[in-house]
Amino acid sequence: MKELFSGEKWKYAFYTVNHPADGYYEIRHRERGSVAIAIVLVILFSFSFSMNRILASFIVNDVDPLDVNALTELIAVLLLYFLFCVGNWSITCLMEGEGRLKDIAIAIGYAMIPMIVCMNLGTVVSQFVAQNEEAFYFMIIGIGIAYGLFMMLIGIMEIHNYTLGKTLVTIFLTFIAMFIIIFVTLLFVDLINQVYSFFYSIYQELIFRV
Amino acid sequence: MKNRTLFRKTAALLMTLSALVVLPVQVVHAEDQPYDTYNYDYRENIVLTPAAYVPEGSVTGQSLGTTAFREPQDLCVAPDGLIYVADTQNNRIVVVSKDMKNTVRIIEEFEKDGSVDHFNQPYGVCVSENEELYVADSANKRIVVLTPEGEFVRTIEKPQSEVLEENFDFVPIKVTVDYADRAYVISKNAFEGILVFESDGSFTGYFGTIDVKITLWEKFWRKIATKEERSKQQLYIPTEFTGMDVDTGGFIYATNIDSEGKQAVRRLNPQGKDVIQKGENENVGGDVRIYLNGDYSGPSEITDVVYRGKGMYSLLDRKRGRIFTYDKEGNLLYIFGGIGTQEGTFTTPVAIETADDQILVLDAYYGAILKFAKTEYGSLIDQAVGLRYDGDETQAIDIWKRVLILDENNELANTGIGKAYLTAGDNKAAMKYLKLGMNRKYYSVAWKRYRNEILTKNMNLFMTGILILIVAGIVYKKFFKKKLQEKKKGGAKG
Repeated sequence: MKELFSGEKWKYAFYTVNHPADGYYEIRHRERGSVAIAIVLVILFSFSFSMNRILASFIVNDVDPLDVNALTELIAVLLLYFLFCVGNWSITCLMEGEGRLKDIAIAIGYAMIPMIVCMNLGTVVSQFVAQNEEAFYFMIIGIGIAYGLFMMLIGIMEIHNYTLGKTLVTIFLTFIAMFIIIFVTLLFVDLINQVYSFFYSIYQELIFRV
Repeated sequence: MKNRTLFRKTAALLMTLSALVVLPVQVVHAEDQPYDTYNYDYRENIVLTPAAYVPEGSVTGQSLGTTAFREPQDLCVAPDGLIYVADTQNNRIVVVSKDMKNTVRIIEEFEKDGSVDHFNQPYGVCVSENEELYVADSANKRIVVLTPEGEFVRTIEKPQSEVLEENFDFVPIKVTVDYADRAYVISKNAFEGILVFESDGSFTGYFGTIDVKITLWEKFWRKIATKEERSKQQLYIPTEFTGMDVDTGGFIYATNIDSEGKQAVRRLNPQGKDVIQKGENENVGGDVRIYLNGDYSGPSEITDVVYRGKGMYSLLDRKRGRIFTYDKEGNLLYIFGGIGTQEGTFTTPVAIETADDQILVLDAYYGAILKFAKTEYGSLIDQAVGLRYDGDETQAIDIWKRVLILDENNELANTGIGKAYLTAGDNKAAMKYLKLGMNRKYYSVAWKRYRNEILTKNMNLFMTGILILIVAGIVYKKFFKKKLQEKKKGGAKG
């Protein structure tokens, strides 16, 4: 928590944006990163995303404002973030990755910075563009997302000390791991439900008969 | 004392009178009708609207002073206002007077080549501009052309042509005639399109074939299926046309039952090419939101179309009994009608026509013509659309504003007003209305002009601001540099 208010840590997050390779290396080996800041950045990204969907100008935005719920989107983003971190961690553990769960969380979290900046910048710019200038808006959003994805790639590569090829393979496997986690979770929830309803029916039987 | 009461009375009278004058608008609420009247908004949500047309009674064979209609299949309003009904199972054509109170005449037989001839299940009927009555005499496999009084003129028999298959069966069910006396005929099981006959009765060919849609997936399955399997599969044949109408320019509006519910009507130019304009949502197929299973599910089954003038046309859906009206650009204007047993609803609607301001729908099961009268809402929309069709969009603004009083969320009205403001140069108001009308294209134009307006108005301010910023930057830099240098020097000294 204390890290949240450390100017140096925040500064380092932005240093990572400028120097992804060096930045992530030091996060892994010199403890320059902060999980708290990473989570705050993910939350900020979720809000920027929802805000973009609601507030971007009518000209570029086809989303029905009634369909946007910032809270559900926040939960979805956090869940995905958590799922990806755990998935990646469980795969890289088996594939000689050097990164800890903490490093993965930071790597993904810090990669949100360009997306946050560009989403908000795009929302502002969208207020000024007309229909044939909407390319500016989409370029800004596109650059933000592309750079964010690039940072994630470099981050995972750097903290695990992987080659590019191996990184791509692990990311692919990470998605499979995520699906397995979701599948097992659903299975588990269903099982618990059945057990619960079993005991509940016993309880009801007892209530009615005894 | 007496004076006072008199005064009071007159005051009360005046007030009621003024109230009557101020509130002449009689809004027809949806709940007064036996059906829901609705439309779709930009996001394809269902929005309830005031009724554009309300039921105004019906006409049956008995009410016309003759025997009941038996499964009538078509009706046609002649240029002189008489209404011709193809009374299919009674093998006759009933001509109804303009006020729909009595029959003018009944055509049951006609004299052909010296002998008396009869109809056998006349399915379609049409009166041409040149006052000739065309009857699709389905079981006799011919088109009979008569004078409106029932005198025989000629017949169009089964066409002989290389284009046709050898076992081609000519069963005409619908016929329509354009200004040049070309007859367009829909024949049962003629999937290749509409048959066109010249005024001398010679067959010119098929017209407006509907392309078969095969998905990639179906193609794939056909590729891997064996010959036997393929022979058992259903054939991929185009859908048949169900109804036709011709507009003043000689373009044919033809409906078909589209299994996807996307395009149920075609506007065919003289070459037989579809030139219909589809609206924003690329849909001229009736209902946009449909249930996929249950009662009354699936896309609309459009059976007939009527051209209403000024580029407007109405489609008749036999599945849910709706009547959809579109303008030239393919915007859905209003929807009314429904299936049911209440007065003003249908069981098996088969044909639609207009007579003056009324819409007439023929119900085969009831054997009745149902009349629908225009409400203020409907006539305002029709007027505004008509003005737009003529290019007088600025004149339409008052009418659209009156539409908005009746139906606040009408996107067409908002767009119409917005466009009018745009041409008038009031960009800010235009932006407001165009956004309410969800018209992105014109909103963008309005916004661009508004942006330029602001920029030119505040040019001085902007320029001064930029100048001040530059000066401030230079000063700051110089000052800052000096300080920095001093600091450095100090550092070096220390």
